[in-house]
Amino acid sequence: MPYVYHIKQHSKNRLQKISASENLSMFKQRRIVIMTAETLLISKQRLISSMDAAKSNYRIAALTKTNDDRYVYDYIGKGDDIEFEYHPTVIPPKKFLFLSKETLFEFSDDGKIKSELETTPTILFGIRPCDLNAIKILNEAFADHHGDPNYLARLEKTLVIGMECTKVCDEHAFCYRTGSQNAKGGYDIMLYPDGDNFAVKSVTDKGKKFVTKYLTKHTANIGADDFINEVLKKKEQAFSKEKLFPNLDKMPEIFAANSHHPIWEQEGSKCLSCGSCIMTCPTCYCFDVRDEVALNMQHGKRQRVWDGCMLDTFAVVAGGANFRGSQTDRLHHRINRKFNWLVHKHGQSVCVGCGRCVRACLAKISPKTIGDAILADAKLATATVDVPLDAHKADRDLYLPMPAKIVACESFTEQEKHFKLELENGKSLGHDAGQFVQISILGVGEAPISLASPPDNTPTFDICVRKVGDVTNKLHTMNVGDTVHVRGPFGHGFTPEIMEKMRGKHLLFIAGGIGYVPLRSLINQVVANQHDYEKITILYGCKTPSERMFPKELSHLAKIGGKISIAETVDQAEEGWTGNVGVITTLIPPIDLDPTNTIAVIVGPPIMYKFVLKSLTDKHITADNIYVSLERRMKCGVGKCGHCQMSGIYVCQDGPVFKYADIKDNEEVF
Amino acid sequence: MAKPRVAFFEFSDCEGCQLCALDLTPEQLLDLVSVVDIVEFREAMTEKAGALDDHGDGTDSIDVAFIEGSINRESDVARLKRIRERASIVVALGACAHIGGINALKNFQSEEEYRKAAYPTDPYKYESTTAKAIGEFIKVDAVIPGCPIDTGEFLHVVKDLLVGHKPQVPDYPVCVECKLKENGCVYEKGMHCLGPVTRAGCGARCPSNGGYCYGCRGLISKPNIASQQDIMQKYNLNEDEMLSKFKMFLQRSKEVFPDDK
Repeated sequence: MPYVYHIKQHSKNRLQKISASENLSMFKQRRIVIMTAETLLISKQRLISSMDAAKSNYRIAALTKTNDDRYVYDYIGKGDDIEFEYHPTVIPPKKFLFLSKETLFEFSDDGKIKSELETTPTILFGIRPCDLNAIKILNEAFADHHGDPNYLARLEKTLVIGMECTKVCDEHAFCYRTGSQNAKGGYDIMLYPDGDNFAVKSVTDKGKKFVTKYLTKHTANIGADDFINEVLKKKEQAFSKEKLFPNLDKMPEIFAANSHHPIWEQEGSKCLSCGSCIMTCPTCYCFDVRDEVALNMQHGKRQRVWDGCMLDTFAVVAGGANFRGSQTDRLHHRINRKFNWLVHKHGQSVCVGCGRCVRACLAKISPKTIGDAILADAKLATATVDVPLDAHKADRDLYLPMPAKIVACESFTEQEKHFKLELENGKSLGHDAGQFVQISILGVGEAPISLASPPDNTPTFDICVRKVGDVTNKLHTMNVGDTVHVRGPFGHGFTPEIMEKMRGKHLLFIAGGIGYVPLRSLINQVVANQHDYEKITILYGCKTPSERMFPKELSHLAKIGGKISIAETVDQAEEGWTGNVGVITTLIPPIDLDPTNTIAVIVGPPIMYKFVLKSLTDKHITADNIYVSLERRMKCGVGKCGHCQMSGIYVCQDGPVFKYADIKDNEEVF
Repeated sequence: MAKPRVAFFEFSDCEGCQLCALDLTPEQLLDLVSVVDIVEFREAMTEKAGALDDHGDGTDSIDVAFIEGSINRESDVARLKRIRERASIVVALGACAHIGGINALKNFQSEEEYRKAAYPTDPYKYESTTAKAIGEFIKVDAVIPGCPIDTGEFLHVVKDLLVGHKPQVPDYPVCVECKLKENGCVYEKGMHCLGPVTRAGCGARCPSNGGYCYGCRGLISKPNIASQQDIMQKYNLNEDEMLSKFKMFLQRSKEVFPDDK
């Protein structure tokens, strides 16, 4: 057992003097090392009193016991409230960084918006390796592609003090299966416990500063490294009987090859869709966004709340379609997020084996059972999703919408209304064709809407809105002069690279119903620059003639002639309709095209894609020359909330426009 | 903009949900009456909206009708339909209106049994038939579930209606809220709970206070009843005990009791 030294702390000046003198005694050398050490030793009692001292500058959250004997992570009143022995908790400590409910911004009835970010310094004390790995993963996820302002502000103010586990906590934990019993990150300081003594090791500047300020008094570094090695040796022995998942290093490839494994249905059919797994998971970070107004209707706030893919309505779009309608589909989605799609991104299993979902699941569905069943199978597929991490600083305005005035509007049908909006800041939206915006009506909510006008330099842009949900219903009641709020543009549209690829080609546009709207932004762009293309063919199908979008423009396009041709069809004719009747695929065979010089773009309802894609294949157009725009539920628009995810791809970020070749093998797409 | 005209009505019930709707702080009450016009509310006021009909209700049109109670008499059906005609929006207030409530427990008895139990001296003196939810007779635009309702949820629905939002009550099970409360599972405490198939929104009130979920807020849209039964069996509940759990509030739920009465 190493000694715990009690040594007096020197001032910085004094230390400099000592280190400058040439003949240092051993004793003095030790003192200097202590002041700059990354590792040191401390007794439990000293650690507790140090935390009490730190309480004047920090609020401290730690494992603690409630009055009714439950173990929870909570803010503590004093150091003595800390439970040093680990007992599994229902909710992981992620709740301090990613709150189960938080305000994104507040608004008032005059349209003013204000947001406040976290500023209270916080210590998360005694976080175990499973949860530290989870915090590392969340830190990466919330900074990926767009820096989430709320999470990152809180992280900046938080100091994470980890604590090693020296044994498996209970029969439900399986951290050793995913290699998560050792923390790969997510902490500033690590505590290595042995009885009532601890070695302290700080790994970040934030950690070192804290240790210097609060822990160096009455501590020693001598033997700290040996102490740590002893603790880790004991840990290794305690875990020595526990095995990693077989083929852990090939998890994504094996899961990609096993989407039809019988284990999915076997476990999925038991699922109650009760959401216990996603609520208790330390690496689930999906959320929903809701507006909450005060009873006097004068002000309100936009809030985000935890949500998760195992709940039945998670992937339901405003029109009612559910992109993951069965428990089995949802279980497959959740487990593939943990073991497949996000693994490359984070460089580790995204399930950290903490066992919380297993403890909480009455049907006893366990990632461990599924992992054991599937990873025993060494069948490999090429994992299709490999989107690297792209760390960003906090974007203060990520969730704050800009005001925009309705400058023109026109109803096309009972269901669809066209709006021209103008940003109040006078700036151009700066979008690509095919991108979308999030339209907010403060108090009602936010909805993703496709842009209907081509890119230009003016502050105005067009949207066309179908009345299907709360936001769109409300929008339909609004008129010229009214103000809405806008975020965006978002997503991957028809980028300059795709536009360049289209140059000189025969462009074949195929639109179904309201799918003409997102395509209109591209069609108008292309028609305005028609000399750049060999031919432009537009095929448009609707249920009935009265459901056609932009009817005046359609007749105008038909009149231009030359290299532009347009063919329309309807499922059901009405009085006065003299055009084609039939499904849209009937328009494809007669087209004269050279498959090597044609690029097709399809936008329509989900049901249309399968048939149109087959007709295009019959015409020998390859998947490389086909673009599609996909619909999914989108809440945040910036690849965070998880609603639009399909097979590891965020439609709001990597789409909605995709090259068909890039997604055709993804099982959740069509 | 004119304030929406709001009215409250009750059928067979204890009127507790109406009390909950009134269980407001003075500030909340002032805010409420500043945004809506309460025109009919037998429990709280004597005035009626317009001339009386033969049921003693007013006859003027109203924007929102909150209807409490289950339907137990033929004559109630006519009154219910009359209210529907007067109101642009009908909200079922509480478990009785929403799912028949505990009144529907009588549906497990024969007519003679429940008549004798209620009126032992003259069983056939009063009208009484199967207890049903109001949605079995008229279109219901929104529900505020629970026995009793949660006042916070009532205010939520009022606000949703005011901003033109389709009133949202959760469509996920009580477990979601129970986990957020960091409760240990009721089953691990030796009790049996309907939380996994019951609509959340109550903040897991019963499991958080030493009890278990009785299912008063009705089932979620797609409950996995088979799995719920497997679990109760695994935790040593026999079939009769299991049925009595479901009987309390879920008699009108076809997923549990497919034989309609």
